[in-house]
Amino acid sequence: MTIENEPNYRKGNMQMARLRILAGLTIAALVAFACGGTAGTGATAAPSTAATASPTPDPIRVTLIGSFTGQNADLGNWMWNGVKLAVDEANAAGGVNGRKIDLIKYDDQGQPTIATDLTQRAISEKTVMIYGANLSTLSLAMIPIITAAKIPQITSGQAPALLQQNSPYIFIDSTTSVVFDQTLAKYVLNTMKINSIAMISNNGTYGKGEHDSFLAELTKAGVTPTADKVIAPDVKDFTAVLTEIRGTNPKVLFIGAEEVQSGLIAKQARSLGISATFVGAAPIGTPTFVQTAGVDVAEGSVMTSPYLSNDTNAKTKAFAAAYQKAFNSEAEFHGAKAYDGMSIFIQAMKKTSDLSGPKLIEAVRSITYDGLLGQFKYDEVGLGLHATQIGILKAGKIVAQ
Amino acid sequence: MTYVLQTLVGGLGMGAVYALVAMGFSIVYRTMGLVNFAHADVVMIGAFLAATLFVTMHLPFAVAITLAVLLTAVIGLGMERILRPLESKDLNLMLIGTIGFGIMLQSVAIVVWGSFGIAVPTPIPNVPIDVGGIIVTTYQLFVLAVSGIVMLLLYLFLDRTKLGTAMQSAAMDRSAATAMGVNVATSNAIAFAIGSAIAAVAGALVGPLLYVNPTLGVYVGIKGFAAAILGGFGSIPGAIVGGLIFGLIEAFASGPLSAYSELLTFVVFALAMMVRQTGIFGERTVDRA
Repeated sequence: MTIENEPNYRKGNMQMARLRILAGLTIAALVAFACGGTAGTGATAAPSTAATASPTPDPIRVTLIGSFTGQNADLGNWMWNGVKLAVDEANAAGGVNGRKIDLIKYDDQGQPTIATDLTQRAISEKTVMIYGANLSTLSLAMIPIITAAKIPQITSGQAPALLQQNSPYIFIDSTTSVVFDQTLAKYVLNTMKINSIAMISNNGTYGKGEHDSFLAELTKAGVTPTADKVIAPDVKDFTAVLTEIRGTNPKVLFIGAEEVQSGLIAKQARSLGISATFVGAAPIGTPTFVQTAGVDVAEGSVMTSPYLSNDTNAKTKAFAAAYQKAFNSEAEFHGAKAYDGMSIFIQAMKKTSDLSGPKLIEAVRSITYDGLLGQFKYDEVGLGLHATQIGILKAGKIVAQ
Repeated sequence: MTYVLQTLVGGLGMGAVYALVAMGFSIVYRTMGLVNFAHADVVMIGAFLAATLFVTMHLPFAVAITLAVLLTAVIGLGMERILRPLESKDLNLMLIGTIGFGIMLQSVAIVVWGSFGIAVPTPIPNVPIDVGGIIVTTYQLFVLAVSGIVMLLLYLFLDRTKLGTAMQSAAMDRSAATAMGVNVATSNAIAFAIGSAIAAVAGALVGPLLYVNPTLGVYVGIKGFAAAILGGFGSIPGAIVGGLIFGLIEAFASGPLSAYSELLTFVVFALAMMVRQTGIFGERTVDRA
């Protein structure tokens, strides 16, 4: 670009053009921000209105950080729905000791850098606690920040690494891959009586947790997997590794990956002629998995989860009905565990008058809570639930075993 | 041996898709010397349109892909028209304009389709065919066939029609072509329309292989762009060869070091570019900037 030699009128045009470009880019950026930055409800506007309403006591600020854009947006929305339902019910019943809960929603876009940035922001905005993230990798990145700030965090992540950070402020709202995979490995080895097992997992925080936990259980039983393949979390074409796995002719294929990737693995495995039964933890039971893989491919897959069905008992039925009414969609595991997790924190808030981090985590640990997923009792590292159940996919639905 | 052949087959399927994306980059570049950074997102829009028409509206796949191609071509025309005032001033400005347009397309996709994405079933029964131990699926053959037809059509258009030749002359020397009666603006508009139409074909084909969501363009686009460079940016045969080779590099890289396949793919790409900076068919690229 050599502007110096251009005639003046052309320079003018050039500047106009620059302005136009700048304006165009600004608009594009604003649109992108408006859509991606704070997805959904006008989160940032909420606190100012609350502050002006003087006679009622200040609301309790709770911040939810989740993925509302990107490949794992399903997880973020399920988590949000569960938490929102618990908060709305508590507010409708008079709030926490007369104070309403003010739930703020931030979109981490599935990016650790954005998640940590939002965590800093939430803390500076005097949040009492943080719900999220729904991804283990992001939750892990947030732990040092919340620990230093002494703000409790409850995550929908399930990686064992989350509980190995030596922080009393982190809690997980279901259970870890260790518990999931103990249950799963026992079922495959003892009930299905199969020990020709191949493994495929991704090397993200969740996938690695699944891989290590399942492999540990196999090793304990003296079983060596026919193949043990690790892939990157964002890969979508698995022809090469699945070809190797097919060569080992396994009867069971263990998948340790998030919903969409698990679905793609299953779909491509079948199209390459792998006839093994797919087994895995909670992702295998989700509608996203079934939709991505296809109902035929998913048929007969074995999964494990603490929440198999909305029809388990009166409590889950009531939850599913309320969920359906509020969001016009069917309740599932991720929404249920978020509902449980938030309900436990609300109960803890009611129990302690002091909502500072150290007091709040003490209150959470003192509670025994009978939830949708089972009985919660949080231990020192932040694990509250200690069992899962086995389900099999039949015509796209989970059937309890 | 079975492993090598099987990986080869898998790599060619994705390679054909990368080749289509690379062709879209190249047709615009060779016509007007512009790198269209919105191209990756045009692929994504094409994929969404095809997926919506096929999955949500239950149209036959042939109809869905045709409509998606036409609609996406119109988007390409619109993009060229919006950015045209910049073309005669400074191509760098237009380049930045395409980046902005790409961001806008992603945002529009999130507004229209949401952030969830659509899982697309294969349009034809995806039967695994066993050829001496190597599994070829019917859908892979379908992807290769459709890509081949599109490549042939584009080649015939550029080399055998008057309009195609006129577009090439506009690329070589803008003012001389204008003096010869070639309408450069029309030529550019057609390049954008064709590039976008091919992007829609790539998007429609890749949907059932992967998963259609607003970030699909990032996944396929970067590799298509790299494939175009590998083949020699601006060269149509280069785009095809570059795409297929890139697909193969990726397939073979994901075997031994599957956890780092992306890294390995781009390391091999970087090494290849160090050996031959201009790409495989590099000598034929247009340099107008």
